[in-house]
Amino acid sequence: MEFNKVRELLDRYWDGTSTLEEEEVLRSFFSREIANLPADLKEAQPLFRYFAEESDIPMPVFPDIEMPVARTPERPVRQMIWQHWMKYAAMLLVAVGIGYAARQVESKQDRIMASLSEQDTFDDPEKAFAVTQKALQLLSRNLNKGTAQMQKLAYFNDATEKIKAN
Amino acid sequence: MSLAIFLSQVVPVRQKLYRFAYRLLENEEDAMDITQDALMKVWQQQERMTDLQSVEAWCMRIVRNLALDKLKARKYRRSEELDKAGDMPAQHQPNPHAAAEQQDVMNRVHRIIAALPEKYRTIIQLRDIDGYSYQEIAEILSVELSEVKINLHRARKTVREQLQKLQVYGV
Repeated sequence: MEFNKVRELLDRYWDGTSTLEEEEVLRSFFSREIANLPADLKEAQPLFRYFAEESDIPMPVFPDIEMPVARTPERPVRQMIWQHWMKYAAMLLVAVGIGYAARQVESKQDRIMASLSEQDTFDDPEKAFAVTQKALQLLSRNLNKGTAQMQKLAYFNDATEKIKAN
Repeated sequence: MSLAIFLSQVVPVRQKLYRFAYRLLENEEDAMDITQDALMKVWQQQERMTDLQSVEAWCMRIVRNLALDKLKARKYRRSEELDKAGDMPAQHQPNPHAAAEQQDVMNRVHRIIAALPEKYRTIIQLRDIDGYSYQEIAEILSVELSEVKINLHRARKTVREQLQKLQVYGV
């Protein structure tokens, strides 16, 4: 294999972006004796040889597992409602939490509104009177405009009544 | 889970479980005990099998937890592990000088890997020695996939720096 290709794979390996297949290619490459291996590739050779050696550790003779397992009775699969009590408790706790938070927000808003309504807007009573008077005059003017319009409608109404009477 | 399913799906993974336990504990007897305990635990928790994506990853996770408990209980010290790092079995080779040299290099690499923090060391071993995918490693270690990738990258970076030192300074 070309050294450049190995370099490319090694870069990916060090970056942690290589695939299992690419890593297998590297393991197989470094397991062979290669003459004139460039120095930059030599640094990785012991590591891959170590991996190969480690994956080949001798296996002991395992004791029989079938007998001890067979002696342990199979436990039936039980699905009981109380097994999930923590889930339900958590859900209840979240619901209570949300309810409490909502109530807190509501009462806080009420308190703000109440405090705002209790606050005076003017310190000087004369100024307050003048502004109130001005506001009432504006209201009255607008009300009068409406009354004038209603007066016209009343004329029409009277005329309709007279025609109906004749 | 019937005994037949246990024997056909779980027991064949025993060698991988042993290898994993052995690398964590560096002791054949302890590794054997942990492997056996893990298999019994799997059998006792058989009702969980249906919820699992990978039975093998679950078995590996049990082995890791048991092995780490054992390490804590016996108060294995880092220095002990490092001392044992020099005790890799020598390979029989026709050229004794080359064999000794090769063994020395392997011991040094072993020390580099053994000196890594546990989470880095385990990730490197699971990926580079056992050949698990990122997803499987995430399941074994109960961490996010992104964490596996980040830690593997950091572990390899550390190993590379140490290998470069080894090559340049021979330390």
